[in-house]
Amino acid sequence: MKILRTEWLKIRSYWAFWLMMLMISLAYPGVNYLFYNQYKDLSTKKDLTGQMLKMLVGNPFALPETYHTTAFFSSVFLFIPAILVIMLVTNEFSYRTSRQNIIDGWSRQQFLLGKFFDVIIISALVTLLFAVFSTVVGLVATTGTVPDRWSGMRYIAYFGLQTFSQLSLAFMFGFLLRRSFIALGAFMFYFIILENILASYASYKKWNWGKFLPLEISDRIIPMPKFMARLNEDGYKLRMAEINEFVIYTILLTAAIWAICFYIHKKRDL
Amino acid sequence: MSVLELHGIEKSYGRVKALNGVSFTVPQGSVFGILGPNGSGKTTLLSIILDVLSADKGHFTWFGKPGSADTRKQIGSLLETPNFYHYLSAVNNLKVTQSISGRGDERDIGEVLQRVNLGERKNSRFSTYSLGMKQRLAIAGALLGHPRVLVLDEPTNGLDPAGIAEIRELILQLRREGHTIIIASHLLDEVEKVCTHVAILRKGDVMAWGAVDDVLTDEDVVEISAADMEAIRKLAAELPGIRHWKEDEGMLHLHFTRGGSDTEGINRFFFSRGITLQHLNVRKKRLEAKFFELTGA
Repeated sequence: MKILRTEWLKIRSYWAFWLMMLMISLAYPGVNYLFYNQYKDLSTKKDLTGQMLKMLVGNPFALPETYHTTAFFSSVFLFIPAILVIMLVTNEFSYRTSRQNIIDGWSRQQFLLGKFFDVIIISALVTLLFAVFSTVVGLVATTGTVPDRWSGMRYIAYFGLQTFSQLSLAFMFGFLLRRSFIALGAFMFYFIILENILASYASYKKWNWGKFLPLEISDRIIPMPKFMARLNEDGYKLRMAEINEFVIYTILLTAAIWAICFYIHKKRDL
Repeated sequence: MSVLELHGIEKSYGRVKALNGVSFTVPQGSVFGILGPNGSGKTTLLSIILDVLSADKGHFTWFGKPGSADTRKQIGSLLETPNFYHYLSAVNNLKVTQSISGRGDERDIGEVLQRVNLGERKNSRFSTYSLGMKQRLAIAGALLGHPRVLVLDEPTNGLDPAGIAEIRELILQLRREGHTIIIASHLLDEVEKVCTHVAILRKGDVMAWGAVDDVLTDEDVVEISAADMEAIRKLAAELPGIRHWKEDEGMLHLHFTRGGSDTEGINRFFFSRGITLQHLNVRKKRLEAKFFELTGA
């Protein structure tokens, strides 16, 4: 509890933290609201386009599918909390408070445990936000009686795990590179460009390792939503069947990331 | 009883040996200066005893126990630079220090800020502070909760002359209150004015350590002069216990081993040979000269 209290003392007056949280609070519901509105506009048209869309896509924002759909779109924006995580860890190195916290009486493990809690809390806040707005969208978009209307809620857990895993990776970039601009640049390059190129190339070459890239592993626990499966039914079924397997891989990868960070922090000079 | 014991501490950065088997003991209640020129290994040594760096070899104990997070909580430390969260105020930064170390409480935070003259700026962000104010805040952080032991690395860095005098007076006051203070400094004057004990470092080696008087004065120097300087120069070699002598600015400087000078005997020696001394004065060997001799600076 003392570690949590100390982390709170560090964060509570940090305007950049609250600004980023505000951006997250706007970006996640915003993007889903945008997609939902576009769908609503098209599907309510009385012409053939509207009817075709309804027939082909169904209603991806209605319960229980809404959780899957919004989780898929929201995962694209994980780089926003990732920036926050990288800022929080690199601040400790640029202000040299990573040293001072140890000098003042924390063990190296306690310092890293504080950062671990930061990532957990940010992941929990993002997941809570996601759970609230996806439920609201689902309730608004659902008409009539739907069987198993809450069955999609497992995607909240998947989203939480994916968020924690990818933010842990962002943490590792900040922790290893120490300087905020370098860490942010390197992570964004990897998140937006490099891994996508590697994954696409591996897929093109039919190489299996592309599935095991650090972000791809957790991306596979939230595969494309059902309405997109119309384009590739077999691929969709295969990806859905793989979810449980990739949940385990994601947990293992995330545990490995933190184990490496704890090990390095124990050994390296500050 | 000793507060800190170092045994054969070694540390290298690649092929550069920063510390080469450093051993010494810091007695309780002392103001212990770690003195050495830049690059002699002072900050590396303090970083090791505060667990910021790991020693390659050797070990140390605080209060008779191996160094740990719990022992560091009992020590107020300022290492190298003031390290605080730039976006937090002085008060909020010290709340973080208090939360981690468990030293002091909210009232103590106000007191230590007053003590280092930061009371009026206590709610200003750290990033708006001058270098001197940052240094004062770091000292306030070290003083929080009245720790038994203080470790201060170049505590007067960045302070103006009045600030330097205040900090020195503060250190002497803390010494009177019974705190043990370990100070690293490259300033001879600082060590000479506030320290009871000293360890002299040169390129990672401890050249000497112990009580300041023992380490920094190994000779008594007696200054004499007479109307007939030529006569006393000729007789100087016959003085019992003399090591060597030299003439400087109209005085003859007679060098004896520490405690070996007998002014009454010297006066009698020359008087019995028909010479009346006009000037007779005993001086300890200058700290500066001794420091340069030990460090080769």
